[in-house]
Parts: sequence; structure tokens; C-alpha cells
Amino acid sequence: MSALHTISGSPSSGLLNSCLRLVCPGDGILFIQDGVYHGSPPRLLDCVPQDNALFALREDLVARGLSDRTSDRITPVGYDGFVELTVNYDKVISWS
Amino acid sequence: MQQKSLTFITRQAPYGTNKAKLVMDFALASAVFEQKINFLFIDDGVFQLVQNQNAEFILSKTTGRALETLELYGIKKVLVDAVSLEERDLSEEDLAIPVKILKEEQVRQIAAYSDVVINL
Repeated sequence: MSALHTISGSPSSGLLNSCLRLVCPGDGILFIQDGVYHGSPPRLLDCVPQDNALFALREDLVARGLSDRTSDRITPVGYDGFVELTVNYDKVISWS
Repeated sequence: MQQKSLTFITRQAPYGTNKAKLVMDFALASAVFEQKINFLFIDDGVFQLVQNQNAEFILSKTTGRALETLELYGIKKVLVDAVSLEERDLSEEDLAIPVKILKEEQVRQIAAYSDVVINL
């Protein structure tokens, strides 16, 4: 079973490290709210295995001026994409 | 009612926020409905397990009592992340209740094989 992990705190929250302890190959990670700061600088994501897809909520990126400053590994999604992700993974694990 | 496997992850220290209590209440309520429950302590959540707590001094309820109710409610899988204990210089002898200590890979599997994961 694959999971979508949502992270809603900034990098200083330590949530990404906690999350990575549970992340399995094939799981996805979606950054929302202050979580979108994980995309800049991109090296913050070096600790995430390459086989985990990364997403960020576009509204939260735009609001924070990060649309053009976020890691290439991150796929921006809108609210419709958010809903689609929650349906496509078997479960959602939220980190807040 | 269909039985599901639920994993409750508790990651906060006991008294600073009400999150530890929320996870506990959620798990006990679910146990009443005879679901398969894992209760997993990670990160600062392991501080809830430290023995000899007495929260009367800060006008709160001591978590130790609530921990004992886990067993009364039939929650047998009380699990602790070994790494979190080690990072905080805690060992099994320091804990208030009997627990099962899980290695990194076991922690990963617990979440992977649960139908629902509640994480606070």
C-alpha cells in the first residue's frame, strides 16, 4: 500500500525528517502551507530518495513568492490535483 | 462493522500541548469499536512514557494513568521507535509501561501495512 504524506510545517519544524522514517519506496510527499518552503533551496530535499514523488500546493507556493524558486523535483499541483493525489494513493498520512 | 487496522502515532511530549491526549483519546475511542490498533511512540512522544511523572505540580493529569488504560481497552500493540529512545538517552528500563521496541525498518512497515494512520 502506498501513502501520500502531507507536510505542513517549514523545514525548521523537523517534520520532513520524522516523515522520512515512515516513507516507503513509491510513497509521495505533498508540501502544503509552510511546508512549501522545503523546495528552496533545493538541497533541502537531498535527503528524500529519488523514487518518492514530490508535490507542492501551487496556491501556497504563489502566496509565498516561491513559484520560480522551488526545486525542479517538485511538481506543483492545484487543489484539484491535491484531491486527485489523495484518491490515487491508498492512504494519507498528515504531518503537522 | 468492518475491521480495519489503525495506527496511532504520537510524536509530542506530554504536557506542552494537548496533542498527546488527543491521540490517546482517539485510540481509546477506536478500541471500543474493536478495531486492530497499533499505538506508536515516536520523536518527543517517547517522553510520555518516562516513569515517575507527577503532573500535579503543573496542575495537569499525569500521563502514566492514561497509558495503563491502553491495555484495559485491549490495545496490546504499544510500540516505541528505538531511534527516538536512543536520541533522548532513554532505555526500556526508564519506561512506565511494558512496550515493544521497534527497529527502523519495523517502524516503516507498521505504517505501510495499516489501513489508516493517525499522526499527531
